[in-house]
Amino acid sequence: MIKRRQSLNEPVLSVRDLVIQYEGAGGVVQAVRGVRFDLAPDESLAVIGESGCGKTTLGLALMGLLPKNARIIAGQILYRTRDGRIYDVVRLSGREFRNFRWKECAMVFQGALNAFNPVLKIWDQVLDTARAHGLRDRTRVRDQCERLLRLVQLDPDRVLQSYPHELSGGMRQRVMIALSLLLEPRLVIYDEPTTALDILTQRAIIEVLRSLRQELGFAMVFISHDLPLAAELADRVATMYAGRIVELAPVRHLFYQPRHPYTRGLLLAVPPVSGPLTTVASIPGSPPSLAKLPPGCSFAPRCELATDHCRSEEPPLCTVGADHWSACHCWSAVSLDRRTERLGGASHA
Amino acid sequence: MIKRLEAAASWGQLLRGLEHRSVVSHAPRVIRRIASAYVLRRLLKAILTVWIVVTTTFFLVRLMPGNPVEVYIHTLISQYGFTYDEAANQAASLFAFDPDQPLVLQYLDYMRSLVRGDLGQSLVSPGTPVSSILLRYLPWTLFSAGLGLFCSFVLGLSLGMLMAYRRGGVIDHLLTALGSFFQAVPNYLVAIVLIVFLGVQLGWLPVTKMRGAVSPGVQPGLTMAFVADVLYHAALPVLTYVLTTIGSWMLLMKSSTLSTLEEDYVTVARARGLSDGRIMRAYVGRNAVLPLFAQVAIAAGFVVGGSVVIERIFVYEGIGFVLLDAINRRDYTLMQAIFLVITVSVIGANLLADLLYSRLDPRIRRQTAEGER
Amino acid sequence: MSNQNALQRRPRSVLGLVAAWLADLFRHDKAGFLGLVSVVFFVGLALFGPLLVPEPGKPDVTKIYQPPSLEHPLGTDYEGRDVLTQVLRGGRSIILVAVLAALLSTAIAITFGSLAAYLGGTVDSVTGLVTDVVLTVPQFPLLVVLSAFVKLDRPLLLALLIGLLSWPTLLRAVRAQVLSLKEREFVEAARALGLSTFHILFREILPNMAPYIVMSFTIGITAAMYAQVGLYFLGLAPLAGENWGIMLNLAWIRGAIFFKDSVLYILAPVLAIALLQLSLVTAARSLEGLFNPRLRES
Repeated sequence: MIKRRQSLNEPVLSVRDLVIQYEGAGGVVQAVRGVRFDLAPDESLAVIGESGCGKTTLGLALMGLLPKNARIIAGQILYRTRDGRIYDVVRLSGREFRNFRWKECAMVFQGALNAFNPVLKIWDQVLDTARAHGLRDRTRVRDQCERLLRLVQLDPDRVLQSYPHELSGGMRQRVMIALSLLLEPRLVIYDEPTTALDILTQRAIIEVLRSLRQELGFAMVFISHDLPLAAELADRVATMYAGRIVELAPVRHLFYQPRHPYTRGLLLAVPPVSGPLTTVASIPGSPPSLAKLPPGCSFAPRCELATDHCRSEEPPLCTVGADHWSACHCWSAVSLDRRTERLGGASHA
Repeated sequence: MIKRLEAAASWGQLLRGLEHRSVVSHAPRVIRRIASAYVLRRLLKAILTVWIVVTTTFFLVRLMPGNPVEVYIHTLISQYGFTYDEAANQAASLFAFDPDQPLVLQYLDYMRSLVRGDLGQSLVSPGTPVSSILLRYLPWTLFSAGLGLFCSFVLGLSLGMLMAYRRGGVIDHLLTALGSFFQAVPNYLVAIVLIVFLGVQLGWLPVTKMRGAVSPGVQPGLTMAFVADVLYHAALPVLTYVLTTIGSWMLLMKSSTLSTLEEDYVTVARARGLSDGRIMRAYVGRNAVLPLFAQVAIAAGFVVGGSVVIERIFVYEGIGFVLLDAINRRDYTLMQAIFLVITVSVIGANLLADLLYSRLDPRIRRQTAEGER
Repeated sequence: MSNQNALQRRPRSVLGLVAAWLADLFRHDKAGFLGLVSVVFFVGLALFGPLLVPEPGKPDVTKIYQPPSLEHPLGTDYEGRDVLTQVLRGGRSIILVAVLAALLSTAIAITFGSLAAYLGGTVDSVTGLVTDVVLTVPQFPLLVVLSAFVKLDRPLLLALLIGLLSWPTLLRAVRAQVLSLKEREFVEAARALGLSTFHILFREILPNMAPYIVMSFTIGITAAMYAQVGLYFLGLAPLAGENWGIMLNLAWIRGAIFFKDSVLYILAPVLAIALLQLSLVTAARSLEGLFNPRLRES
């Protein structure tokens, strides 16, 4: 049945002031600049942003899978296990990571087209995962695996005996999703789960994710640039821009009453399915290079509401409503009125 | 000549037809699956190449200026007073075909005896079939060259992976430099330098005693003494092969490993909590090693080709050694046979490598089966 | 519009390109630069050595296998002649034959590779088959066997034989390149202008491959040297004169390898050949870096 409401009040994940930087040929770039949020044990959080905003880096950091040239220079990623112990993922050692990964927290990567070892059968790779975590009972692993595969609408006998290249992209993605739940993790991170898939498969994946959450009850972070996806799957949505969360709110609040110009821009870029046709606006300009961020608010160059204050002082993420946070000086002026092109330079402190 | 070209072209098209399954698409399912098998295709291609080489050799020998068969007959007639018939008979038995007949029939005769395993008799020691000479010397070359290739491959593979995992370190730079150095220098020169320094100057190795394939008086058989002796004598040739070929394996494996390490499935494997050892062996190693099999053919050709000189330097009684001997004594039948055997060995090594590759990479195995659906 | 693009893609003047590349090489790849300098040195030695250095002199039995001295920096050989002189003079015929052979095989590879790719069909199938066969047959044993049938006493003949065996790898590469470039826009533009096949091949496609071709040419010289010296060493190519290979052969026959004093006689040509091969390979690798800049970072 529905397993739910474990340690209701304690978040399973707490990220505090996380700063991640990359060392490249051109110097040091901060991909994540002070991110903080909490995640409840059965909650689904969407992290939405354009490419290069740091969302994938954030996802990798939660698993400790950052590439060699990236470092976490500040902040904490606090994870709480089922029996109440708290780990700081930032400070885990190699061996501790191997226990942590997949068992407590799993990740499904973008486009599982190449997520499987081409020379091993799927079943062998499942066994690898089980063995790595000390599960030696093959029958139990097999049963669990078959149950999960059926939940994602796949035929276990066919899939487990196949090599990865014998399955289609959508099938591989679903196998990956099933595999991610093999060890019953508390938290699963999905990085662009529906990108690079055709529209029918996308629908299938969304349905699968929805029913899995209902059936098994785990916390979910999914990373995407696709805002409508958040509407389908998320309880809360965070929009990310230039390495920071600029708005964080329950899904309905965000969609009906955004409090950040960037979120508004994202919403207006998608035409409404029902109702009269409106002008579809895209956000002018392009995201800033993380190596050369403008002073003050990083969104100011593209923002219609920008004031001199915005351009000189970076707005902190603060409460603008019930469980609604925004990093904007002019948040109260943000409105979803589609017919208005310019709102004038009203300045609010 | 033109007809031959056309025939060869249609062979090529037939093979390509097999590849595109156009020829066999109407055959019953079992035959279709067999005929589409990668293994069979490679085998056919190998046989075809061997056939072409055999045919070309045959016609080249007959058409070259100084055709040895004619020269031999003339010598018999002029120097030994044979009649033409007697000379022709003698030539026929030695060369495994009848020089009296028209060229095409000679060719068919030759092919027939080849298939039976009759390579003719030695010109210099009449009465000794060439195949028996080959059987005495060929195993030594196959052993030393094979051992050299194997050691070089395995060592190069491991070192290459080490270099990739410790990229930019001391080991990486040192091994790259050493490997490239030894690869550039011709292998027989390395052999000479080995003798000069290890044997003569530093006196570490008793190079004169290490000559030959076995020490005199040692009985062949599966005894420790024999095996040890064989390895003792093969040590220097094998060392030369390994030194001069390991460079390319190391560098190839290093670059292959580096690109495999960047593949998504390696990151996912880490995400799944797999141990570094398991990832290195089954996820990185098994995938990175695949491109190396394409080079085995080239390496085999290189090692076998160089064995001609190296066996002379180390006085190692293998097929290269015998080839030189045969050339100096103008023993044409033996020469031809040795050349054939050398070529067939290289083709065989090539085939073996391809088969191994198809076993290791499931994508190749299923390639055809997939396309048929 | 695409016309202009086609014209703009012509390579810059050859001299400008080479000069820029040399400067870049010196900065990034000291080894490669050194290799190149070394190659130039050896080529100069080969061409001008015999002119500048006198003949080694008459045999003098009182001076057999002398150790190195001021008069004979590398000692003397089995006949009392100076080794250093022989080394300085010994490169010419080897390098010349190697260059000729490499030129021949490069020419064959380029011509037939491009034609096979461009014309396709039967031409391509036949070329492919011949290439496969020649590629599989081991080169050196074949030369060894041929030496029994054909007297290899003329350098041109030697160059011809070696050249006729070393083209397959480059041919395949040229064919692959031409096949992939065939479909690119500037070829279509040229065809639209009505330019002939010859023109398209030699003025449009091949200049794009130039660094790779030069690199293969260099490797071809290496391979030809290997084959040559091997043949001389085994005594299968009876050329008169005193090139490095023949020095090796004589030194080996006389057992120079086993006497402590005479070891320089056998080592000197070994060193010369090895150094030249090394320089060629290093220079070729830098050329590879030019063709494929991504390699430079590794």
